[in-house]
Amino acid sequence: MTTRPPMIEFQDVHKYYGDYHALRGITATIRAGEFFSLLGPSGCGKTTLLRTIAGFEGISSGAVMIDGKHMAHVPANKRPTNMVFQSYAIFPHLSVAENVGFGLRRDPRSAAEKIRAVDEALEMVGLKGYGNRAAHALSGGQRQRVALARALILKPKVLLLDEPLSALDKKMREQMQVELIKLQRQVGITFVLVTHDQEEALVMSDRIAVMFEGEIAQLDDPETLYRRPNSRRVADFIGVMNFLPAKVTGESNGHISIEAGGLGQVDIEAAQAPGKISGGEAWVGFRPETLTILYEGQTAMDRETPGTVEEVVYYGDMTYYDVRLDGVDRPVRISMRNVFGRPVLDIGTRTRVAWSPGALVLFR
Amino acid sequence: MPLCAFRARTVTKKGEPMALGSRWDRLTRSEAFNGYVLVSPTAIYAILMLAAPLATIVAYSFFKDGYLTIIREFTLENYITTWTDPVFRAVMLRSLMVSAMVTAATVLLAFPIAYYVSFHVPASRKARWLFLITIPFWTSYLIRVFLWKVILGYNGVINSGLMNLGLIDEPLTFILYNVNSIVLTLAHAYAPFAILPIFVALEKIDRALLEAGQDLGESRLMTFWRVTLPLAMPGVVAAVLIVFIPTIGDYVTPQLIGGGKIPMVANLIQARMLDLDNKPMGSAIAVSAMAIVTLVSLIFLFMNRRFLRGQR
Repeated sequence: MTTRPPMIEFQDVHKYYGDYHALRGITATIRAGEFFSLLGPSGCGKTTLLRTIAGFEGISSGAVMIDGKHMAHVPANKRPTNMVFQSYAIFPHLSVAENVGFGLRRDPRSAAEKIRAVDEALEMVGLKGYGNRAAHALSGGQRQRVALARALILKPKVLLLDEPLSALDKKMREQMQVELIKLQRQVGITFVLVTHDQEEALVMSDRIAVMFEGEIAQLDDPETLYRRPNSRRVADFIGVMNFLPAKVTGESNGHISIEAGGLGQVDIEAAQAPGKISGGEAWVGFRPETLTILYEGQTAMDRETPGTVEEVVYYGDMTYYDVRLDGVDRPVRISMRNVFGRPVLDIGTRTRVAWSPGALVLFR
Repeated sequence: MPLCAFRARTVTKKGEPMALGSRWDRLTRSEAFNGYVLVSPTAIYAILMLAAPLATIVAYSFFKDGYLTIIREFTLENYITTWTDPVFRAVMLRSLMVSAMVTAATVLLAFPIAYYVSFHVPASRKARWLFLITIPFWTSYLIRVFLWKVILGYNGVINSGLMNLGLIDEPLTFILYNVNSIVLTLAHAYAPFAILPIFVALEKIDRALLEAGQDLGESRLMTFWRVTLPLAMPGVVAAVLIVFIPTIGDYVTPQLIGGGKIPMVANLIQARMLDLDNKPMGSAIAVSAMAIVTLVSLIFLFMNRRFLRGQR
């Protein structure tokens, strides 16, 4: 993939609300045409950061650049960004078409061309023929589409989305995720999404910045973020991760030797420790799907440890098992796809678990 | 809109089997009955004190005047006389003018105050501000009107103050006993009535809408014009009606501040009814004035109908 030019640059951005330090030195680059997500728990500063792009929030120090231009003295209405608000902020006194055409007042095009532009924008978001409806009579999903059309009709360089899917039910949310991805590819505009939903971020984004307490903890593409989180906190926030205490026993040319929980001596590659490791006490983590419960007659490709099933959680397509591996002082969570012909195991079953040192991640 | 009607709410005990009692039992248990019981004190009061006198006035206006007595015979004479009377027309027109000026002054001055309290006062202090706005109500309306007379009078606070400062040699005469002073007094009296409905309408506006306006390329001023003002209009319309309707019938202020020299329609009704003891004629003027006020109000509502359509 060729590296795209930068669209938004944060240079050591700090933001204070009185004594409260909301943004603590954000430095990051969002590239042109990228679907970028700001992911984090509530209060981590992700929405504040988004609002500094839109111009609704000033910054205390540092710089925000959009398309190479400093934004320090550019008010919100002069910035090449448009926003889809969490509440959608649909004007209740205007019709759908008037909402979508709100930003076209100073557009030099003729009235007829503007009407056509509004119709095209409505068609793009799947609301063809809704122009004359009253905005307050729309459903949540439709409001969101109007908000999208209203922003995209202005052809911004950056579209900002503030938790746009949080008010929708699960089915609608999943459908809108797919539609948003398609829309973003179609228009090629840089999308910046704020979300607290890690799954949503993984599904939709080209890259994700995980934020905690006003700082970016990790900025990576979804796969790297999932497979190689750089801290226990990031690992815990994104998906499920098992942690076992570990000891670093040796380091040599790109390899690290560790004593992992009760699993014995393991050699891993240096890349499996994305955070800084300084020897001694550490933690080893592995995802539930990297472990496999072996059935009669199956053998492990790599390592194998016996254990006892302690808890079973059945999800239909998946079953989660908590298995206490022999020699390990805490149960580990294992996810197994339910396949035809394989019964779900009962609590107390003795079993063998296959795992691979290559799937481990080492944390400080 | 704060003009909503009083709505009674009743609670029926659910899940309790209906007793096989008399019709009376069933009646007293019904939700409608409980509702009527709850609203009846208010309803009876309203009927006795408002509807009945009003009906009497309407009836009087179609009766003949027999000087000191009333002849109960149907006639349209009173209305014909009223509508052809140049005095009525002049006084009615003046009442409408004064009322319109008071309304315009009050609402235009109330809007910035309501806007300030809603948008710039921190949420924790809004209640205190509203409390302060209602302070003029702590004194009776009559006393406030008298106080304006003291302030504006020939030897009043303003005139003696300005003369002591040497800014004027003789007392100003244009500040009392004229239309300006009536407008000033009434605008002051009705200010809270205008501030509160506008404040309520502004409070209901989702602040994200204002950010959306700016996000879509409009300046603060244009956002106010295209978003805030249209959404505040239900409050403005309510404020206009709340000020306009009572001021047009105001009696005390024209009498005291206007010095009786510039009568408004209420003063005319009083003169016909009590001074000349012509109740049918006074009633006809009163009903005519009511009809005109109703008509003007309806025209005003019609002009603003697009702002009043159902919003959430």
